[in-house]
Amino acid sequence: MTFTSPLFLLGILGIAVPIYLHLYYRKTPVRKDFPSLRLIRLSVEFVARRKKIRNLLLMTLRIIAIILVVMSLAKPFLGQSASARSSSDTPSAFIVLLDNSMSMGCTHQGISVFNTARARALEILDQMQPGDRATVGLINDPGRLIFPQLTWDQETLKKSISNVPLSMAGTNMASSILPALKLLSPLKAYRRAIYVITDMTESAWQPFIEKYDLAKVEQGIDLIMVPVGDTAPDNMAVTGLEAEAPVIMSGRQIPLKVTLANHSQRSRKARVTISINGERKLEEEIEVEANAVKDTRIMANFTTTGMNQLTATIQGDAMPFDDQRHLAVRVFEPCRVLLIKPDSLPGQPENREDIFVRFALNPLNRGKDNNFAVEARSAAETRNIDLNNYAVVGLINQRHLEPELIKRLSEYLMNGGNLITFLGNRVEPEWYNKNLIDDLGSGYLLPARIYKRVGNAVSRNVGYQMTDIDVGHPAFSIFAQDGSGDPGRAQIFEFFQVRPNPTALLLTRMSHGLPGIVEEKRGRGRSMLVTFSADTSWTNWPVRPTWLPFLHQTLISMITANELAIGSIRPGMPVSATVTSEDARDMQLTQPDGNKLKLAAQTGAQGLVHFTTRDTDQTGYYKILSDGGKRTLSAFAVNPPAEESQLARINLRRIPRFIPLAHEPGRGSSVKEKVSLLRDGYDLSGAALLALLLLAVIESWFANLPTARRVE
Amino acid sequence: MEKTRRLSRFLDPKLLASLSSMEIRARTVVEGMVEGLHKSPFKGFNVEFSEYRQYVPGDPLKDIDWKVYGRTDKFYIKEHEEETNLSGYLVMDTSGSMSYKGQGSLSKIDYASTLAASLAYLMLKQQDSVGLVTFANGLRRMIRPRTGMAHLKAVCSELEATRASEVTNIGASLDLVGQSMKKRGIFILFSDLMDNAEVIIQKLRQLRTRRHEIVLFHVLDRDEISFPFDDTTIFHDLEDESEIVTDAFQLRTEYLRRVKHLMNTFKSALRKSGIDYLIADTSMPLEANLRSFFSRRQAVSAR
Repeated sequence: MTFTSPLFLLGILGIAVPIYLHLYYRKTPVRKDFPSLRLIRLSVEFVARRKKIRNLLLMTLRIIAIILVVMSLAKPFLGQSASARSSSDTPSAFIVLLDNSMSMGCTHQGISVFNTARARALEILDQMQPGDRATVGLINDPGRLIFPQLTWDQETLKKSISNVPLSMAGTNMASSILPALKLLSPLKAYRRAIYVITDMTESAWQPFIEKYDLAKVEQGIDLIMVPVGDTAPDNMAVTGLEAEAPVIMSGRQIPLKVTLANHSQRSRKARVTISINGERKLEEEIEVEANAVKDTRIMANFTTTGMNQLTATIQGDAMPFDDQRHLAVRVFEPCRVLLIKPDSLPGQPENREDIFVRFALNPLNRGKDNNFAVEARSAAETRNIDLNNYAVVGLINQRHLEPELIKRLSEYLMNGGNLITFLGNRVEPEWYNKNLIDDLGSGYLLPARIYKRVGNAVSRNVGYQMTDIDVGHPAFSIFAQDGSGDPGRAQIFEFFQVRPNPTALLLTRMSHGLPGIVEEKRGRGRSMLVTFSADTSWTNWPVRPTWLPFLHQTLISMITANELAIGSIRPGMPVSATVTSEDARDMQLTQPDGNKLKLAAQTGAQGLVHFTTRDTDQTGYYKILSDGGKRTLSAFAVNPPAEESQLARINLRRIPRFIPLAHEPGRGSSVKEKVSLLRDGYDLSGAALLALLLLAVIESWFANLPTARRVE
Repeated sequence: MEKTRRLSRFLDPKLLASLSSMEIRARTVVEGMVEGLHKSPFKGFNVEFSEYRQYVPGDPLKDIDWKVYGRTDKFYIKEHEEETNLSGYLVMDTSGSMSYKGQGSLSKIDYASTLAASLAYLMLKQQDSVGLVTFANGLRRMIRPRTGMAHLKAVCSELEATRASEVTNIGASLDLVGQSMKKRGIFILFSDLMDNAEVIIQKLRQLRTRRHEIVLFHVLDRDEISFPFDDTTIFHDLEDESEIVTDAFQLRTEYLRRVKHLMNTFKSALRKSGIDYLIADTSMPLEANLRSFFSRRQAVSAR
């Protein structure tokens, strides 16, 4: 409570008057003889208590009357805000934070909640008085202050609010409220307030109030909540879409996982439509229980290689922006693998050292509908084969190779091919180091130099195991989870000691610390060296259960390594990727609405070329193009955060410090009056005078009430 | 208006107060009013035959003369002329509370003494014997009943000499009085009854069971009946000297209710026991009290 004329409060000393009169009249009785006090005593006992209460009550009424007179003269104001406690001529500094997160995009009674919120913000800005300073901010993820400093320019602030679009991003309360508090904190000479205009979704506020103790916010700053919208409408959303396959091959049935969330109190059915590159392919009706999330799997067949746009759509409702979800998928041709096996000796049966690799890549030995098309040839048989037709070439226990093949392999590798080299008893380290590394200069094939053989595969006295497995590498990442198998259980009885090149990655070591598997990026391709055999002559790994997933993951990682994979992101998140200098020429970003933006590539410190873009505010399918739009480098999808679909509101009582400023058009006082009341408080002078009048009537009635009636 | 006119015929208490001698006061009071009396108001125990009259239904059977019935075969009632040869005991409360003197000219004890002397004079004039007992916390003085007008002087002297003081113990005092009264008679008590009402009623009933006629004058000042105080007052008890501070205005209704309740209690309880209960308001003329006393006695005699 504050007072316009606080000096009048000195009049409160006037309460001494009734107290004095009360005490004075108590102490001046008249002395009188009486025959016997017998009856008087009995009567006094009966009357004394009421008399005392009456006198005290009268005295209290008179004290209150004096207080009310004094208060009326001092013009008291009462308000729950800190501003109301300040002097009325103190200027205000306030910040209007407008929630423009995706949840604000729903409609209430046919009116956009966001438009209502924007109108509220303009009404609050209208209350700016001469001398007041203000700024506006947006609440989304990440939120920001549109003007980082407070300004007197009311029109600019109103214009910026009028032009604010609805964001497809989530809600990060801290990113806008904390900077606002920081901005107002030093302005102690002002009446400070932060108006938060929001739909108060629990999913946005709960993490904020759990992490930040709002009760500790400086008491001089008013936090005012302006709720918009009504109770949360029923909402059904597509909150997840993903392809459940490590690599998508054209012509293969791929399971798609579609996640539907039903944020309503009743079970609802939704017709999910799957579109590929804008063409409706599949439809399925799914029922989701009340307040539940349900995953469903739909099989889809991709026919077009390269980047594909995948979209899952349900019918529209009060919140239209979460009824569609996008996914960018790259579809590959079936992977062709060439295994170059040792030549068969004359008169000897065909060499079968490739059998475990072939079997692992094509266990059912299917001619088609298999992810990997494996061909096994001797080195001599590869003379007329174009290596560029194969995604991966495997060298298995080769003694010597023809120089022409070595040259072709080097070119293949540098142009983006992938080479896996398995060693064995035919390998001569000196020849390998000289012909596959030293003589090729920068086009060398092997990621490590080969030295002596370790162990004895004949006696098998000592079995080595793989340790320090790099489960962060795609080839071994599948083994990171418990229960997915452990390649370290395989035993290697003999292997070559190698020394990895400086830029090579060591994927695993042997149990005594020597390198086991080494990989190096060579040109646009990759070369992997396995220091032991591809069959069971030096190791039992090919007959262990982890052999097959290792080979599958290795090949998939090799064929996808050169692709620019960005995945799905949230609106507003930056996209950054490294590209080749060739791809970096004339790059473009195509947004979901068809708008094309030029992407500027930058060369980093180590010569890496990369680009970054923040133009991801729209939800949908984005394409990154090269060569002036002729070539699609990659694509990615931007989807709204799933939590924004949950429109349930938080109870304001759970949010400390916030004072509500609720308003319904046509009901109660206007926003202008409510803002004014919050800032200046309630004028209690009228109420005090009314109370005084009422009190005077009560006092008069009570003081003149016949004693007899009370006693009786 | 009629009552006022009638009372105006009586002596003004102020005038009485100016008479210093109790005996003269008594004579003045009685002679001013006795002309209207034709019969003794006191019904004696020793009676002389007056006449026979025929029995009518409703007469007590004990009054039928059976000897006459044996002779005449008819019921006759034997009537007696009253004889005013009885013993009267004037019992005077002389406790401190009786010294109260309000707006009137006589204190309670003066008023009661004048009343007692008047009755003594009347009874002695009718050849009855009169005694006097004064008490407060116990018996103070006792004058045995005697006849003859010469005895009036002794009674009046004693009444004049008595000063109100001490606290009241009516119950114990009545016990002592009862023990000292050997002969049945009329027992006239003057008191403001500032003691336990139940004890007083119980003791008076005990006296009544000994076949004494009992008349009680409840002597009250006008202040005690109307409680005309308005201010916050320190009330001083004339008996035990205690004091109490209270707002008299607020107390009045409750006090008056209790006084009225007390008088009603005495009235109903004593009259059930055949005891005459009369209020002696000191602001009223003495003759008015005597008149009401006589009217009451005549009503009793008629029964």
